[in-house]
Amino acid sequence: MSGSMAQPPAPSGVAAAAGAAGGASPLLQLADLQMYFPITSGVLVSRHVGDVRAVDGVSLTIEKGETVGLVGESGCGKSTVGRTILRLYRPTGGHIVFEGQEITTAEGSTLRGVRRRMQMIFQDPYASLNPRMTAAGIVSEPLEIHGVGTGRERRQRVRELLATVGLDPDYGDRYPHEFSGGQRQRIGVARALALHPDLIVADEPISALDVSIQAQIINLLERLQGEFGLTYLFIAHDLSVVRHISDRIAVMYLGRLVETATSRELYERPLHPYSVALLSAVPIPDPAIESRRRRIILIGDVPSPSNPPPGCHFHTRCWLRARLGNPERCVEEQPALREMASGHAVACHFAEEVEGSPEQVLQISGDSPGASVTAAAITPTTATTATTPPAPTPGALPAGPSTPQQPVPRRRERS
Amino acid sequence: MHLLSVNNLLVRFRTHDESVFAVNGVSLDLDEGETLGLVGESGCGKSVTNLAVMQLLPKPAGKIEGGEVVFQGRDLLSLDESEMRELRGKEIAMIFQDPMTSLNPVLTIEEQMVETIRAHRRVSKPEARARTLELLHTVGIPQPEARLRNFPHQFSGGMRQRVMIAMALALEPKLLIADEPTTALDVTIQAQVLDLLQRLTTERGTAVILITHDLGVVAGMTKRVNVMYAGFVVEAASTADLFARPRHPYTVGLLHSMPRLDAQPGEPLIPIEGVPPDLRRAPVGCPFAPRCAWRVEACWTAMPPLDPIEATQVIVTTGPNATHRIACWNPVTPEEAIAARPLRAGFEPAAPPTEAVS
Ligand SMILES: Nc1ncnc2c1ncn2[C@@H]1O[C@H](COP(=O)(O)OP(=O)(O)O)[C@@H](O)[C@H]1O
Ligand SMILES: Nc1ncnc2c1ncn2[C@@H]1O[C@H](COP(=O)(O)OP(=O)(O)O)[C@@H](O)[C@H]1O
Ligand code: SF4
Ligand SMILES: [Mg+2]
Ligand SMILES: [Mg+2]
Repeated sequence: MSGSMAQPPAPSGVAAAAGAAGGASPLLQLADLQMYFPITSGVLVSRHVGDVRAVDGVSLTIEKGETVGLVGESGCGKSTVGRTILRLYRPTGGHIVFEGQEITTAEGSTLRGVRRRMQMIFQDPYASLNPRMTAAGIVSEPLEIHGVGTGRERRQRVRELLATVGLDPDYGDRYPHEFSGGQRQRIGVARALALHPDLIVADEPISALDVSIQAQIINLLERLQGEFGLTYLFIAHDLSVVRHISDRIAVMYLGRLVETATSRELYERPLHPYSVALLSAVPIPDPAIESRRRRIILIGDVPSPSNPPPGCHFHTRCWLRARLGNPERCVEEQPALREMASGHAVACHFAEEVEGSPEQVLQISGDSPGASVTAAAITPTTATTATTPPAPTPGALPAGPSTPQQPVPRRRERS
Repeated sequence: MHLLSVNNLLVRFRTHDESVFAVNGVSLDLDEGETLGLVGESGCGKSVTNLAVMQLLPKPAGKIEGGEVVFQGRDLLSLDESEMRELRGKEIAMIFQDPMTSLNPVLTIEEQMVETIRAHRRVSKPEARARTLELLHTVGIPQPEARLRNFPHQFSGGMRQRVMIAMALALEPKLLIADEPTTALDVTIQAQVLDLLQRLTTERGTAVILITHDLGVVAGMTKRVNVMYAGFVVEAASTADLFARPRHPYTVGLLHSMPRLDAQPGEPLIPIEGVPPDLRRAPVGCPFAPRCAWRVEACWTAMPPLDPIEATQVIVTTGPNATHRIACWNPVTPEEAIAARPLRAGFEPAAPPTEAVS
């Protein structure tokens, strides 16, 4: 662990991290954040033989009230970023600044004070709730730990919270196994809300849920954000979900951010070869579009974060580098995250080449089927004949029945 | 004659204290070389339907209690275990979400592939080994020669799924059943695996039943779709037709509840309220009724048959011109499919009959 961490943070680092246009001070700033996990070997005396560089220099700013999405393949360090922000780990290097206060190495009561204002929602609504506690006990726990209110006030607050997340307050005395997956995730959300947090780190909060239930939870999170002025760091591997919920998106690859942009920009004009490949891989539920799209098939798996490729971490799988005749620069020099348009930063030496390329244009709409696609890495999806479906229009909620919240037997989600 | 016909299949799980009504009269046909998607949320009976076709239901709880399964004119339900074993792998192969469930962890890739090939084909060991190498090469395993002596756990998730595909295609089966083959993988790796699956099965003319909960995967990979809910097929159509003109309230609900990468910014999601039904209760009426905004009185008491959306002389069950069919007493109109709610003036979803509520 690097012991010398300047306090306050180097202004240049934080300035570089600033994303959206200014105003009041941001809620959270990460500057060159590093989180390494030591790899040790030896039975009696463990020797430090290397590090898993889970987070390797991440700079990111989150403004109050916004939702920032963090995406990337599994193992690229998303959860570690979230957990380090909540100071479940002590960072190896860099800075975490929460409302102007450096909390990188905070301890004791300072840390407890900050933790009240940051909460986490987890992926697995089965594993993250204590099976021996009732729903009310789970939601009440943070209040008890922080000594908030009398017993009676806490019970009242728990009922309010359960109602807020769409659960029947009378179900507070039931145990997690008596709820469905979606209802459990609501319990997790109620627990996260208990202490009136400012920032919620939602780590793959819907990945374990069924499609029809995912939308319920996404809508709940959006409603709560409006009601309580919450700020979200929304971690997920599914770009369509992240795009839906986020104002801005940060794309992560092997411990580093490779692109940050507004959701709209990232989708319309991705500038990092990795972002383009990620977007092109997301299936779209429309056979007509799928038949026109050109998919970039990345070769191989994500390399190990204990021994990442030198220079640009992505160079071993990069279609653009291959196209350009494998320039040495990608291997020798780490590309910095540089701003290419207002609020749109990219870490690629050759991002200019992505702009306007068939890959960038064809990754989603496939609107120019005549465009010459030369890269061997691009494979067409087989053609399907189809008429274009009616464009879904925003509509009001169905005048549907609101099924009473009913505990259902444990069921495996997504089998 | 179809390659595969499943008629009115009933599967129950019975234990001493309960029954699970897993598959409640599923019918589907498949022609040679066709790709059919089976889509629906977890627990709707996709895997059980296909395990029943393969006669791999967990015993003794899982029982086929009705219907027939005809493959290339043979009634599979009348075959004994040794005849089924001969058929599995050679005629019908299956790949799963978790390849470890079908790979033997203590055998090297070479050992299990050579064994599989030699169990069905009279070839020498060196011939089987050469075929194994060729297959690993075909599915894109780097340095296949060196990988032959590896055990399954030495491969990454994506590579393991490639090995599974190599094994499944080793005997050139007529039908490949792929049960959520990419659900556990990252999208980038999913794209690799689906691309491979599509290429190989198209080249060989292998028919595919692709089981998935992802409508996006269905849209890109299949020509025909059956949407399942609570052990029933509720909508069947060509893939193009299903996405262009969804008519069942559940299909419409699914389409509106998933965020799309190409959605208009700010477009709201319209979730399906409630939760899927408890399959331990015998189905009464349409299983979707409690969550359905279109339900009418009949929905609470009688299961609608899977009927054509328009009156027709002949029902075509396979191919690009398959008849669009739904099981619904009150089909969604095209305008309603866009709005995601009933648009008829004064329409209210029918209240449950008092005795049906428990
Ligand atoms: N507590 C830990 N100890 C050691 N290695 C870890 C720990 N947590 C995560 N890692 C490793 O760090 C890398 C990033 O993991 P993670 O942050 O969970 O990625 P993601 O959430 O993007 O899937 C992975 O290689 C993972 O194995
Ligand atoms: N071994 C089993 N014992 C009891 N019930 C089972 C068993 N396997 C599956 N089921 C039940 O059968 C129903 C259908 O399951 P399945 O076909 O696996 O669904 P999916 O559509 O997710 O593949 C579910 O309700 C499930 O709980
Ligand atoms: S820097 Fe090179 S290897 Fe990295 S993304 Fe850009 S072109 Fe590809
Ligand atoms: Mg994670
Ligand atoms: Mg299944």
